Amino acid sequence: MDILWFGVFAVLVLGYFALEGFDIGLGMLLPFLGRTQEGRDRIVAAMAPFVLANEVWLVAVAGVLFGAYPRAEGEVLFGLYPLVVALLVSWILRDAGLWFRRRADGRAWRAGWDWIICLASYGLAFGWGAALVALASGMSITPLGLAGGAAVAAALAFHGWTFVSWRLPGRVTGARRGGTALLVSACVAAAPAAALLAGSAPWIMDRTAPADTLSVLSIMILPLAPVMLGGQVWVWRTFGPGRAPERTLSFF
Amino acid sequence: MDVLDLARTQFAVTGSLHFLFVVLTLGLAPLVAIMQTLWTFRGNPVHERMARFWGQIYVINYALGIMTGLVMEFQFGLSWSGLSHYAGDVFGAPLAVETLGAFFLESTFLGLWIFGWHRLPPKLHLACIWIVTLTAYASAFWIMAANAFLQNPAGAVDRGGHLELADFGALLTNPMLTFALPHVIGAALLTGGCVLMGASAYQLFRGSAEREFFTKSLRLGVVVAAVGAVVAVAFGFAQFGPLGEFQPDKFGGKPLAGAGLGFMILIGELFQFVVLFFLLPTVRWLPRWRWAHPIMMMLTPLPFLAAILGWLAREAGRQPWLIYGKLTVADAMSPGLTSGMVTTSLVAFTAVLGLLAVADYLLIARTVRRGPAAVTLGVPPGPGGPAPERATALSL
Repeated sequence: MDILWFGVFAVLVLGYFALEGFDIGLGMLLPFLGRTQEGRDRIVAAMAPFVLANEVWLVAVAGVLFGAYPRAEGEVLFGLYPLVVALLVSWILRDAGLWFRRRADGRAWRAGWDWIICLASYGLAFGWGAALVALASGMSITPLGLAGGAAVAAALAFHGWTFVSWRLPGRVTGARRGGTALLVSACVAAAPAAALLAGSAPWIMDRTAPADTLSVLSIMILPLAPVMLGGQVWVWRTFGPGRAPERTLSFF
Repeated sequence: MDVLDLARTQFAVTGSLHFLFVVLTLGLAPLVAIMQTLWTFRGNPVHERMARFWGQIYVINYALGIMTGLVMEFQFGLSWSGLSHYAGDVFGAPLAVETLGAFFLESTFLGLWIFGWHRLPPKLHLACIWIVTLTAYASAFWIMAANAFLQNPAGAVDRGGHLELADFGALLTNPMLTFALPHVIGAALLTGGCVLMGASAYQLFRGSAEREFFTKSLRLGVVVAAVGAVVAVAFGFAQFGPLGEFQPDKFGGKPLAGAGLGFMILIGELFQFVVLFFLLPTVRWLPRWRWAHPIMMMLTPLPFLAAILGWLAREAGRQPWLIYGKLTVADAMSPGLTSGMVTTSLVAFTAVLGLLAVADYLLIARTVRRGPAAVTLGVPPGPGGPAPERATALSL
């Protein structure tokens, strides 16, 4: 049971970086890949149908942390207090940019939110890099975090670049990428978190909740796992390339 | 203010903001699902346009629900790590089930619904909004189960200085949950109904050309508000039973909780009176009675106010306990938390979420003002669909 829940936790963490990673990466690249408003609209429209299904993996990570590793939850979040606050503010602003950019007319409104999406995506990438470095070094926030931030930002930007070359081949980056390339870039995006998880597995598992709690979680969650996975697969089948061309305006 | 007051203020601000948006999400989701069901099975185009218009308002409102919810979820670890240390083995379970079993599905299928218009087969697309609705109510159940545990720690035993889960059934049948959940659902339906009623009254008062659209919406709003008001008031009073048993001192010598309770009851009774004895019997003629429209518009903000007052009563009345009789709020605060840390995050969260909340309400008001013709959610493809300015998105 301990192993099973650590597996669930690891899959959710890696899934977050592999999936939400390309949204963050594309947000960072938004002003560079989309020099005109139309170009930026096209990039946002390419990632928009995936965002809700991607970012929810992190909400699930926090849920499992609280449910299965309650003592780790307090130690980690409080230990990284300033970074968690910065990540949350960045996350909120990035989402606000996506939800609001098309809700009013005027080029300045949309261009302004596009800048906020971009800056907030840098905030997320650097925040994650600094957080991973701090977790690896016993929760001390040091200048080394900045190097970690740069590394994570580069990995996520690469993932975002690959995603848009796969979703809109030849249309945004000039390059065409297949599914294998996207899988590779997803692994690159998830690699730093995977290294940390491998190193800290004993520490996390040492803080596992009692067996009764895990049984309750298993009974309540595991039957729903196929539906959760099915929903995710359905998103990719519906909005992946090669499907019916976009017939309606993107909501974001 | 000392660090404890600051941390409490931070939770109160984000919690109140969160509930302000969540209560409308819960109220609107089933209404949008019903509208789309009518369209799918009866084929009257006005129902499709209703689902898209009220659906867009629902989606704009949902944005702030997510953002404030994230801050809520992470704040438990930031400011209240004593809670997870002492009771995480019990309290964490309903929260984990909420995020994995409810919110995960809600978010995934909401994305499919928003971006799946005219892409998914109509019945599968309809299934998406029903899954979103069901999981939203499942979320409400688990969050209320977690909150009820704080009000009355049923199903847990103290073993060696921290709580362990002894009886999961008792956690789910907690009387502080079974009476409060229908109360919250009633309040949500009242809120959703009032928004439909108030916005439709505004459009009809202005002499909108969309008479059929807003006549149908206004009537649906009044009926749903009536159901919501009755359920909310009935289960509101029903809660005094378990309250007398588990928290007899809830409102004694606590002016904030007492005032919250008093004003909420006042608003609840006002609604029950106005909706049941005036609006519901005249629902057939209301859309044509122009003089009544400003009254309905003025009623619209009141359920939101009542919702905040209700939480104030429930949460302030539990003080000084975080888990009633077991763990005080002061003991639950993260050890080592400083005023500087909380002040910084309090200012950051309040400024960002406050500004976004204002922007969100302005965008909802703008959507209401511009009416169904300007809706961008699920614009049908082809001529008469997206305006030329929007045609660029089609080149995807």
